[in-house]
Order: sequence, then structure tokens, then C-alpha cells
Amino acid sequence: MGDDVLRCDRLRRTFGARVAVDDVSFRLAPGEVYGLLGPNGAGKTTTIKMVCGLLDPDGGTVTIGGRPARDDLSVRRMVGYVPQDVALYPDLTATENLAFLGRLYHLRGRELAARIDEALELTDLASRGGDRVDSFSGGMKRRLNIAAGLLHHPALLVLDEPTVGVDPQSRHAILERVDSFGRTGMSVLYTTHYMEEAERVCDRVGIIDHGRLIAEGTRRELVAELGQKDRIELAADGDLETLAAACRRTGGVERASVADGTVQLVAADGRRTLPAVIEAAEHAGVPVRSVDVTEPDLEAVFLHLTGTALRE
Amino acid sequence: MRAALVIAGKDLRQRLRDRSAIVIGLVAPIAIAALMSLAFRGAETFHYTLGVVDDDHGPLATALGGVLHEPGLRQVVTTQSLPSAAAARTAVRDKTVGAALVVPTGFSAAAAAGHPAALTVVTGADNATAGSVTASIASSFVAQLNADRLSVATALAAGAPGSEAARLQSLATTLRLPLTTVDRSVGATPLKAVSYYSPGMAIFFLLFMISFTSRSYFVDRSQGMIERIRAAPVRPHEIVLGKALSVFAYGIVSLGIIALVTTAAFGADWGDPLAAGALCVALVVAVVTLATLVMAVARTQRQAEGISAVLVFGLALLGGNFVFLSAAPPIMRNLALGTPNGWALRGFTDLATLGGGLRTVAVPIAAILSFSAVAGGLSALLATKAVRS
Repeated sequence: MGDDVLRCDRLRRTFGARVAVDDVSFRLAPGEVYGLLGPNGAGKTTTIKMVCGLLDPDGGTVTIGGRPARDDLSVRRMVGYVPQDVALYPDLTATENLAFLGRLYHLRGRELAARIDEALELTDLASRGGDRVDSFSGGMKRRLNIAAGLLHHPALLVLDEPTVGVDPQSRHAILERVDSFGRTGMSVLYTTHYMEEAERVCDRVGIIDHGRLIAEGTRRELVAELGQKDRIELAADGDLETLAAACRRTGGVERASVADGTVQLVAADGRRTLPAVIEAAEHAGVPVRSVDVTEPDLEAVFLHLTGTALRE
Repeated sequence: MRAALVIAGKDLRQRLRDRSAIVIGLVAPIAIAALMSLAFRGAETFHYTLGVVDDDHGPLATALGGVLHEPGLRQVVTTQSLPSAAAARTAVRDKTVGAALVVPTGFSAAAAAGHPAALTVVTGADNATAGSVTASIASSFVAQLNADRLSVATALAAGAPGSEAARLQSLATTLRLPLTTVDRSVGATPLKAVSYYSPGMAIFFLLFMISFTSRSYFVDRSQGMIERIRAAPVRPHEIVLGKALSVFAYGIVSLGIIALVTTAAFGADWGDPLAAGALCVALVVAVVTLATLVMAVARTQRQAEGISAVLVFGLALLGGNFVFLSAAPPIMRNLALGTPNGWALRGFTDLATLGGGLRTVAVPIAAILSFSAVAGGLSALLATKAVRS
């Protein structure tokens, strides 16, 4: 499609013998928030770095606004990059940091000052512009990190796990902002390993694992791939790996994996399968303490596709 | 180029906000140059007090007194009469005089009678130079005396009447040995310690910019700033150029202020302003290329700090920033010419002693720029690659 803001075609990148990204293709339409969902080490950051021109792909192409991104500096003015770790000068004020980065994007004078005010306002930091960054809380630094990416009004905002290590309140604030960016017409490429975040802010999600994009679509489309399946979460005392193995041998259970101190299952029919699962647990010597049967979500999709839980 | 200027401006703002940079760039070099100048004040010209004990009271003792007050020696020696050999030993021990010369009782009479007689030189262990100079003066006087005696003996042997002996002897004492050395100083002006140590310390602390710059690059990298800048419409070489420009500006301003302050406050002579300025520019270019080379070669901040420390102290020691190179062994003087700071110091020394302008420092500037070309070529190649990776 000619009006795609971002188009990645068959991206591939290796580090020595390790294939970090393998044949990854996806597109972003204007105003779309696209989530790359996958566990740590899945290839999300490598993909983002190729999009932002920080890594050259070994194969494939990145096109931004219809122009090839590689070696074309003007294309970079269309992209706002918000790295995973806060990248700001702690010994400069918030305003000085934004002014420096704004000048690199050719902003100057009144326009630069107006953009700085706007970015600080947008991230609720208007009253702290004159303070040094090293006096900021972790959440404030994260917000300023995002403000720096917004300064030059990019057509595409790339956010690499912006909520890692952030308190719940700041996280909520960041997600609210991201949610609003799409409505202003800005496209957002958002990577996360938090399924809830992807479900909340992304119009479409690409599930990436071991460097490969294994599924893509809206939440509804992805969940529909599971059919009439249910997600079962078991809490138990004892060896959860033994319980997961016992569950895998139980009829009706398609996937079983340990995550966050529970055993996560995908079953064709949760209510019918459950008695057999509990019996198998008893036989395995790992009695079940509580059971939660829910509608399928992206977590279940990931489990269904990869055989492992997202946060395993 | 625009991005490089933006980066340089930001780096300068951070550096000026860092008090340690101000201390190392300005306060420390001025303070240490002043201290070293005080410590070495007087070392440029040698002068001491010589204690003289006249137990002889004869014509030769009087003649020796005359020699000691000749204009040539007056620049080096001030005499002080002492009552006895024991008083001379005490004065030398107490350092009230640098050395002492004792003319023993009957010295003139013994010389006239043709008997051996000796002048005694009293020296202290901690002022060997004063002892050597005194011994030389005594030897020179005795040589003159022997020459006088020889000339009288020669005249008498050639048939001069014995009644003429006293007149001949008197005539001989008015003659002098022919001069064997002539002082033709190459430098028009003697080099003052402050004129050596002011540029010496300014250059030494300028070398610390190698460490500051490479550390700043690695701190930026660990903070994710290099990556963030690279995501902007900035080419890798503009990042390197920006860092280099900030070092250049800071180095020039730092050297300029130190030159002004040490000239005004301590009377340091940096030579012709244009020539000194050109030398400073060449030297700062060399420091910039070295800083970039460290950035390019080191993989981590710790490596950069290690390499910088070796480079800074190695160059300072070899280049002669701590010691007068003119007093150093020839091997040290030759090694200094392998360093940009050694050439710069040579340039500043020439400006302070020979005077002149750009022509005086043409060779040092050419040598420093050649060094910079090699280091700069290597660093341009490697640093851009390092930033890109």
C-alpha cells in the first residue's frame, strides 16, 4: 500500500551465528498503533533498531513514508525514537535536553521553544522544565524520554518497551498518552512483553518469537485463531513443571506452560477438560489450589502458538 | 556540520557546568605554574656568598681579594670576610655562606720563598656547585700565581739582574693568563622558570582533555545518548566532529586564559602573541586527534581511562612538562621531540629566549601538525567506525 507510514519487508539480521530477526514483515498505516509482542530476546529491539536506522539489516528493506530508510537522513526526521532505557543527560535540565535533541531535528527559535512547551505539557512535565533530569523520579524520566521522541512531530513514533521498570501510576499515564497519539494521526510502533499493554493500546499486534513474526492481526483476529478454546490458569503447591507435564498428557489440553507461579493451559473446552486436569494433578502429586477459566486472550494466543507462556 | 556544532555546544555547556573541569582546565595549571616558578626562582642564574678568611694579610691575599671583586665574578659571587678557618666551617655548615676560601698564615711569604703553600676551600655537601666554583676560582688564582713565578724565573735565567727580581715580580702580577673561553649566548634573554613552567603546566593539564573527552563519549554511550543522536538525522562523523570541536574550543580558551593570567600575574614570557597563538592552535589540534584516537581504540570507559592516563603522563614525562629539558640528558631531549607537547615546549622556550615571531616556531608547528595528521588520519578512520557500530 502506497500510504503506509512504515513498511518492513522480509527483515533479517544476524549476530554471528545467532539469527536475531528472521524474515519479519509488517506495515503500519497512518494513525495506527502497532504492537510487537514477544518475550525478552524475541527480536523486538533488533527490529526497532533496523526501523530507526541504528542497525543495517542483513536482508530485507525498511520503507518509511514510501522512501527507503537506509542511508537517507531526511527519512529520520519522520521517526521519533524512544529507546528502552532512558536516554537523557542527567546534568542538563529537561528543557536543555529537549532543546539539544530538537536542534538535531533542525528545530530552532520560537518553533523549538513552542515544541518544547508542547512536549512537556503533553507529558505532564510543564512545571519541571527548568529542573535537572537527575532530580526526576523514574516515572518522570520515562515521560521526558517519550517527550524527546515527540518533539519534532514525527509521522512514526517508535516506543521500545516504554513502561519497563515504571510504577503503576506512571505506567497508566504513559499508556494513556500512547492511546491518544493514534488519535492525532501519528503512527506508533510499540514493543512490549506485557500482553495487557498490547491489548489496551494497540490496534494491531504482531507476535514475535525467536526472531520470527508468528502471527499478526487485531486482538479479535488473533483470538479467533484459537477457535472455541479456553484459557485455564492453575495455582498449585508443588512442582509446577511436573503439573504442566501431567496436563499435557491429559485429553483436551492443547498447550501447557509454567508462568508467573501458575500453570497456564489452552484447552478445547475448558469446562469439560477441567475434571480430567484436576485428576491428573492429583495423580502427579501436585494438588491444585485454585482454578481460573477465562476467555482466550493474547496470552493464550501466544501459548497456543509457541507452547510457552509469554513471561516464561 | 550543523549537527556537529549543536553537539559541540552541548558538550561545552556540560563541561563549563562541571567544576572539576574548571579546576583542571584553569585553576590547577595557573596554581602549579606559580608554585613551580617560586620553587625554581633563582635557578636560572647561579649566585652565592663566599666566605673569605685572610690569615695571611700579605700581598697575595690582597691580590686574591682583587680577583674576587672583578666584574665577571661579581655576578656569581658575593664575598663575606670571616675571622678564622673555624668560623668558615661553621658558616658553611649553617649555610650562611655557600662555600669559604681560607688564605693561610704565611701564604704570601711561602710563595715568595718558593715553598709550597695551599689555599683551603671549605665546601658543604648540599651546595656542591658553590664548592666547585670556589675551587675553580682558587685553581685559576694559583695558576696565575705560578705563571707569574715562572715568568720571573725565566727572565732571571735569561740574564736579568737579580736586583730587578722584585720589579719583574710586580710586573708579572699585572699580567693575566690568556682567556680560553668566550661567552657567546645563543638566547638573547635568559629563560625564566615561570616562562617555562607556565606553558609546561598549561600543556600538561590540556593533555587531560584526552581523558575528559573519551570519558564523555563513553558516558554518553552508556546513557544511550549516542544511539539517540544516531537515530536523529545526524551522520556518525558529525558526532565525532562535534566532540572534537568542543575540545578544540575549550583547549584554546583554557590556554589563552592561562597565558594572560601567568603573564599579568607572574611575568611569564609566552613570546610573540601571534606565534604563541599559532603554537597553541597546533597543539590543541594534536590533543583533539589524540582524544579521538582514544575514543576509537577503546572499547569501554575503563579502557579509555586507562589508555588516557598512560598517554597523558607518558607524554608529559617525555615531553619535559615537569623538568627543564635543557638540563635533561640528551636522550630525554631527543625523546621529547617525539611528542607534540615536547615540540610545543621547545617552541615556547624559543619564543621566550630567542624572540621572533612565526618563523621562530615554524619547525615546532610543522612537527606538531605532522604528528596530528598521523593521529588524526587514524582516528578519523576508526572513530567513525566505532560510532557507527
